[in-house]
Amino acid sequence: MIRVIIAGVLMLGGLFVLSVATVGIFRFSTMLNRIHVAAKCDTLGALLMLSGLMVLSGWNVFSLKLALVIVFMWLCNPAASHLVARAEVETNPALEQICDFVDLTKENNHDSN
Amino acid sequence: MNEELKNIWRAFFNWVMGNGPRPENEVIPPEPPPDLPFTQKPHDKYTRFHEATLKERYNQWLEIHGLHIFAILYTGLSVLTCIVIVSLLLATVAELPPFGHERNPANNEVIRRYVEHGGHETGAQNIVAGLILDYRAFDTFGESAVLFTAAVSVLMLLGASRRNKTDTHSLPSSNAMDAYSIHAPPMRHHTFRKDDVILRAVASLSIPVILMMGCVVVINGHLSPGGGFSGGAILSTALILCANAYGFERVHEFFNERTFIVSSSTALMIYALSKGYSFFTGANHIHSVIPKGTIGNILSGGLILPLNICVGLIVAGTLYGFYALFSEGDM
Repeated sequence: MIRVIIAGVLMLGGLFVLSVATVGIFRFSTMLNRIHVAAKCDTLGALLMLSGLMVLSGWNVFSLKLALVIVFMWLCNPAASHLVARAEVETNPALEQICDFVDLTKENNHDSN
Repeated sequence: MNEELKNIWRAFFNWVMGNGPRPENEVIPPEPPPDLPFTQKPHDKYTRFHEATLKERYNQWLEIHGLHIFAILYTGLSVLTCIVIVSLLLATVAELPPFGHERNPANNEVIRRYVEHGGHETGAQNIVAGLILDYRAFDTFGESAVLFTAAVSVLMLLGASRRNKTDTHSLPSSNAMDAYSIHAPPMRHHTFRKDDVILRAVASLSIPVILMMGCVVVINGHLSPGGGFSGGAILSTALILCANAYGFERVHEFFNERTFIVSSSTALMIYALSKGYSFFTGANHIHSVIPKGTIGNILSGGLILPLNICVGLIVAGTLYGFYALFSEGDM
C-alpha cells in the first residue's frame, strides 16, 4: 500500500513535469528556450516516471533494467541537448536579434586579451 | 577497309583506356546567330553557305543543332526504356496469383516447414536468423554486396573530388554566393569545433558499452533477436560517436579507407565461399562437414555465427563510411 502511494506520487510528479514541459515547448518561440524545456522534460520527467515504475515493481531484474534506462537517459540526453544548443549558437548568425544571450567564450577571449 | 577498322579499333581502345577527348577540352559550340528576317539577311553569308562543301555544311549544322538533337534522342530513349520496363513489370503483376487465395505460394507448406523444422535443420534458436542466413542466405549475400557496392561507389565519387581538390580552387567566393542568394535567409556558417568536454566525457563512458552491446547482438544473432545488420548498425554508431567526440583523425588510427576495403571484401569473400559450399553440398545431397551443434549453445547454428560476423563487419564499415564521407569527404 505504501509502495503504491510512493509510486503514485512519483509518477504524478513526472506527469506534472512532462505536461509543463509540453506546454512550454509550444509556448516558447526561440530554439534555445525550447531546448531548455525539452531537456528538462526528458531528464526529470523520465526520471520520476521510471523511478515510480521501479518502486511499483520492487526488487527484481525489471527494476534493474529501468535503472539502466535512467542511467542511459541521464548520460545521453543532457549531452544531446547541449550539442543541439551549441550547434544553434554556432550556426545561427541572427541569434543576438532573437534572444538575449551572453557569449562566455568571447568574453573570456576579451579578458585574456 | 582495313585502315578504317584500325581507326575504329584505336578509337575504341582510347575510349576504354580513358585517353579520349576530355570534357574540359571539348569545344563549346558557338551560339547560333539570331534569325534575321529574310530581307535583312546578309547576302554574302547567304551565298557562302551555299558554296560550302557538303561536309562543312554538315559540321556547321552539327555544331548548331547537335546538342539539341542529342538531348531529344536521350530523352526519347530514356522514356522508351522506362515504358518497356514499366510494361514488363505490369505484365508480371498481372501474372501474379490473386490476393488472398488459399493456394497461393505464401500459404503453402513453406511457413510450416520453417516453424516446425527450422531449429532442427539450421541449428539456430532464432528462427528468423535461420531463415535469413540459412534458407535464404543468398538473398542476404546480395544485400551485403549492395551495401558494399554503394559505399565503394560513394568512396570513388567523393574520393575523386578529394584528389582534385589540391589543384582546383575554383569554388565560388562568398561574395558571388551572396549575389545569388539575395532573397534567401542568411547562410549558416558551420565551423567544426572538436574540443567539447561534455561530449568527450559522455563518449568515453558510453563507447565501450555501445561496442560491447554491438558485439553481443552480432554474436548472439542465432540465439536472440538481432544479428549482423542490427549489430553492425550499433557498432557503427560507436564509431560515429568516437569520430564526433575525438575527431576523425582518432578513428583514422584504427579504421581508415584501407581497413574498410580489406575487411569488407574479406567478409564478402568468406560469405560467398562458405555459403557457396553449403549450397553446393545441399543441392547435390553431399554430407556437409559443418556441424550444426546443439540448439541454444553459442557455438551452434552451423554457418550462421560466422555469417553474422561477416554481415556485421560490412554494415558497420559501410554506415560509418557513409557518415565520414558525407561529413568530411574523407574516410
